[in-house]
Parts: sequence; structure tokens; C-alpha cells
Amino acid sequence: MAIVPDVPYFDVSDPDFSVSSAEVLAARERSWYARTNFGIAVLRYEQTSALLKDRRLRQGSIAWPEQHGITEGLLHRWWSLLMLSAEGDDHRRLRRLANPAFSRALMEEMVPGFRLLAGELIDAFADRGRCEFVSEFAEPYSARVLCRLVGLDESRWRDLSHWSTDIGLSFGVTIARDQDRIEAGLRNMYGLAEELIAERRREPGGDVISALVAAHDGEGRLSHEELGAMITLIVFGGMDTTKNQLGLALQLFIDHPDQWELLARDPEIAPRAVEEVIRWNPTVVWTTRRAVEDLTVDGLDIPAGTTVHLLSPPANTDPLAVGDEPFDITVERRAHFGFGGGAHHCLGHWLARIDMREALPILARRLRRPQLERAPVLRPISGVTGPVELPITFDPGVDA
Amino acid sequence: MRVTVDEQTCDHHGQRTIACPEVFNLVSPDKLEYVAEPDESLRDCVEEAEAACPTLSILIED
Repeated sequence: MAIVPDVPYFDVSDPDFSVSSAEVLAARERSWYARTNFGIAVLRYEQTSALLKDRRLRQGSIAWPEQHGITEGLLHRWWSLLMLSAEGDDHRRLRRLANPAFSRALMEEMVPGFRLLAGELIDAFADRGRCEFVSEFAEPYSARVLCRLVGLDESRWRDLSHWSTDIGLSFGVTIARDQDRIEAGLRNMYGLAEELIAERRREPGGDVISALVAAHDGEGRLSHEELGAMITLIVFGGMDTTKNQLGLALQLFIDHPDQWELLARDPEIAPRAVEEVIRWNPTVVWTTRRAVEDLTVDGLDIPAGTTVHLLSPPANTDPLAVGDEPFDITVERRAHFGFGGGAHHCLGHWLARIDMREALPILARRLRRPQLERAPVLRPISGVTGPVELPITFDPGVDA
Repeated sequence: MRVTVDEQTCDHHGQRTIACPEVFNLVSPDKLEYVAEPDESLRDCVEEAEAACPTLSILIED
């Protein structure tokens, strides 16, 4: 690729790089893509939509550990086994095994439990009129939902959450620096997976682990290594993302008190609120693809092997596709890219959509007029992002 | 069994093709082909595709 002077350039490995920065949004105005230290980054809606689904590209983060000098060991092996790293027939086999456990119908069955859990967590701090939202709500809520999904004793939620946070560091640009911590998280999570496998073998249930164990034991459609990797991916993938997305949601609503009031008054708009929150402030800020053959997109030659980062915040808010629209939870808009797209579209999107759809209106009714008590502590905006600490004050409200 | 795909809401992620290639074929990111009246023996596979579609764009009529 010849360097064209007008095309923006971003170092996406720079810990200070932000996909939502003014610099990125300004770049989107003049170019649909930017060059990066890995390849290119896509900034606009139409090209993001097309490239996510284009089968001339494969899921691109398969080389992520290697791009950071991690060429062997537990993290490297785990990464290579992930469904995220699989393509073609292997991917199809794994996806079909996992899909039924995440259907919308099954997730809707969990709704009464989601509501009770949200209420119980809020009860614990509501009278104080203040809380640290991440540790007192977002984290226990998503971790305990995950415990229920995989049939694990809910008292173990803290372990689950900590290990997920450690593993989540593998998607960030500091993966090499964090390798020891990530691998410790993986060893713990694999231990948990073995425990769950043994339990379900003794006593099968209707849960996702039982279905995967049956696929391994009965028909050999899943190797033991794949079984372990699948369980760690399900637990980690559903835990860290929802926790962060709930924190990001609250941050947005603190900045838009009128929208929080709307949600408190009309829980019917909760499904749209979830979509609008993810459109504006997605926890997964980019999806990665890699060209498996030479292709040309809007005049740009993309040689085989090129890494393509699809940056969801600029694409989700691209004025060419959705207009220059403010944060508004009452409007139905074109689909966002917060769950990626194409063959690797997020497996657990119904779980995320439904558990947030239930939690947000309850929070809106009980945490009236939320405000920051002090500045939140933020994770760097790369890979999976969100607040680490979000201390807030609010006026206690009643869930009518 | 009759299958309809809502082209207005369908976002062409290809999840149906992964779940049931016997009935659905995403030829390119904007072109989906499918068997409108698949054989009854493919019901499980079509229902799997219906559940896997992220935008709920498949309608199955008996």
C-alpha cells in the first residue's frame, strides 16, 4: 500500500489512543479509513457493515498474541482454540453447538430472576443515596447472571468476576505486559471449567455446560480442549462485557438526566435504550478482520494479510448513515456494531440485551437524579472498555 | 412448512447459513438465497436458523 498523505494515521497500540476521540471523529469526516500500525482502521458505517460480513476476510484477532510477541504458552494455546479464532467448517461446528444455549427464548425465561436480582442488589445500598456502581451493581449483577447461566453456585461470583477481568486484559493493547496475570486468570477459569464438566457428567441439567459436555461425550463433536476453551469463553465473554456496558450506560445517563427520567417513566422503551447506549458507548470498541485474499474497497487496495480494525464508535455515529443524531433512547435507528457482525456476530447478544433491558429501567426508577460523586476511574479505551470505579450519589426512588 | 425472510430487517450476518446451509445461502453480503418451501425433514435445521438469526428476520409457517 502506497502512503497517501491525506489519509489519517493512528497508532492503535498507544495506550492513550481513543476510538471515540475528537481526532478519530475528525478523521472520519475526511476519510472512510485510517492507516494504523497494524493495517487499516475503518471509520464509517457502510464500509464497516460490508467488511464485517465479507467472506474474503477472516476474524482478525487470531494473530493478536503473536503480534505482541506471545508465541507459546497457555494464553497462546487458549487463543488458538477459541471459537473466535475458528473459521469455516470448524467455526460452523462450534457455533452450532453453542447457539441453542443462547436463544432468545431461553434468555427470556431468566427475566423474573433478573428483576429480583436487580432489586436485591439495589436494596443493599439504596438507603445510603450513594454507591460505587461497578462493585455494588454492575459486577455482581453480571457475574451472578453468568453463574445462573452455567449452573454455578452464586456465592462464587467474585472469583468469576476477577478471573474474567484478568482474562479480558488479553484483548487490550497491553497484552504482553499483562501476560502473567492473564494466564493466572486462565488457569483459574480452566479449573472452574473442569469442575463444571465433572459435575454435569454426574448430574446433567438443561444448562449450556450440560449440552456441551453431551456434545463431547456422546458424539465426539467437541474435543476436550475445545470444551474447556468454550466454557472459559462463555464465562469470560458474558461477564466482563455486561459489567462494563452497564457502567458505560450509567455514565451516559448521568450526562443525559432527561433520558434517565424518560426510562423511569416508560420501561417499554428499555429495549431501544439498550441499543442506543451500545451505539454511543459500546464496551467492545473494535472488531478485527484480516484479509485472506487481495480485495479492493471503494478504490482502496487491501492486500491479503492486511489487518482491518473496525472501530464501532465512529461507525455507529457516522452522520452519513444515521445523521448527526444526539443520544436519544426513544428513536429506533439502524443496527449498531456493538456486537460485531457476520459469522462471528456476538453469540451472547440476547443475554446482554435482555439482562440490561431488565436492569436499566429498575435502576432508573430507584436511582433518581444520579450524579458523579467523584471522577470515575476508567480503563484505557481499547479492546473491552468501561469504568473500573463509578462512585455516584442519587435520590432513592421507589420501584412501583 | 413455508419460510419467509424479512428483507427489511435482515442484516445478512450469515448466521442462518451457518445454522442451516441446506435451506439458506448468503451468496454475498447483500444477497440471500433460500428455499421457500423446504422439506419437512429440515424442520429442526430451519428452527435452529430461526433462533440463531440476530435480527429475528425468519418467519416459519406450517
